[in-house]
Amino acid sequence: MLLHNQISIALRTPLVPIKSTPKYNPKNAAVFAQQRNPPPPATNFSISDETLSSRGFTLHRTMDNLDLDHLNTVFVAVGFPRRDTGKIRVALEHTDALLWVEYEKTKRIVAFARATGDGVFNAIIWDVIVDPSFQGIGLGKAVMERLITALLEKGITNIVLYSEPRVMGFYRPMGFVADPDGIRGMVYSRKQKKKK
Amino acid sequence: MPNYCTVVLPTALKLYPPIVSLDCRCQVFYSLQFPLNLNFRLRRGSRNQKVSQLKAGFWESIRSGILKNNTTQVIEPPTTTEEEEDPLSEEFVLVERTLPDDTVEKIIFSSGGNVDVYDLQALCDKVGWPRRPLTKLAAALRNSYMVATLHSVKKSAGEEGNDQKKLIGMARATSDHAFNATIWDVIVDPSYQGQGLGRALIEKLIRALLQRDIGNISLFADSKVVEFYQNLGFEPDPEGIKGMFWYPKY
Repeated sequence: MLLHNQISIALRTPLVPIKSTPKYNPKNAAVFAQQRNPPPPATNFSISDETLSSRGFTLHRTMDNLDLDHLNTVFVAVGFPRRDTGKIRVALEHTDALLWVEYEKTKRIVAFARATGDGVFNAIIWDVIVDPSFQGIGLGKAVMERLITALLEKGITNIVLYSEPRVMGFYRPMGFVADPDGIRGMVYSRKQKKKK
Repeated sequence: MPNYCTVVLPTALKLYPPIVSLDCRCQVFYSLQFPLNLNFRLRRGSRNQKVSQLKAGFWESIRSGILKNNTTQVIEPPTTTEEEEDPLSEEFVLVERTLPDDTVEKIIFSSGGNVDVYDLQALCDKVGWPRRPLTKLAAALRNSYMVATLHSVKKSAGEEGNDQKKLIGMARATSDHAFNATIWDVIVDPSYQGQGLGRALIEKLIRALLQRDIGNISLFADSKVVEFYQNLGFEPDPEGIKGMFWYPKY
């Protein structure tokens, strides 16, 4: 796996003084998420591929063999709206990276996440879901860690997402920061268009 | 400036009231009556450039941003059917005016995505954004679902075929082509700010995305421009949903 800090980042003129940061220590990962250095790479996944496999889960990185109706069922189970499978297919075909976990015993998808973007600068992570019956055992984290690594390997360093308030605690330990430097996520709303 | 600031506009941005110089006679054009001869070094492959006519509905929405008073002439457009317009590839004149030196300047909107990356880099330099590798810039544009641009075309009085074309604004959106689109890199040349052009750019981009049935349009706004986007219909942290960045570089 590529080390994050070996990926070349476009030259930047530092407009703000660069603060020094302490070395990454896995023991204080949650605290470290507030710091600025990303963690060491993928060889340190919280659950290894082998462990996942031994517990009966298979990792997939493409749309092949993904049953979109099963995916839709998991969407609904976690509270997303049910969506047209044709549209889901189009969305997945125009997705930069995706990852899903299959439970071997049932041959059904139990975890999923995908990222869209421009392939060089920015990526946005969408639709991070874990089947409610399989939550709490590290599958969501496993999917997120691998998705982020895949994006970093492409050289994408701006990785963002929109998080509901109740799951911000899930993303924070992974290194996500809300409203950094006052930047706000905004969504277009047809209901309340103001005209000046 | 952080490198992830995707919708940063320089602090000199003023939106309302728009500034219309008393020195120039302004004429607002609705339909493009001749093909433009614009040379671009980089063409986005699959888009066709199509000259199309504005619809009154859209024009109404940006007219208030560009016209300050009744001294500016407004020409009502002929009605156009919805089907004639391909929203992903349109080009039309937003503003036409005569400058004090008798040069005629047209501001042209285009969603066909023909951007010269050298011009874009020069524009990014003008607003003070950090430099990005040209090959990556080109790739980012190619991989964007929609790239909207504003160009200024100046014709000197009495000279034939001597157009000065300049990129003065751009905005792009990435999308999964089905559900979500995110707007990045909104930029307007500082000398052209305060005229409602940025607003026109975003409004048109939004409209094109909505016409393509992409229901969720999002962006990340620097704190100084949150209000700009609120006035365009964007809501920060809807239902408490927050934008989060992975190890942002401050």
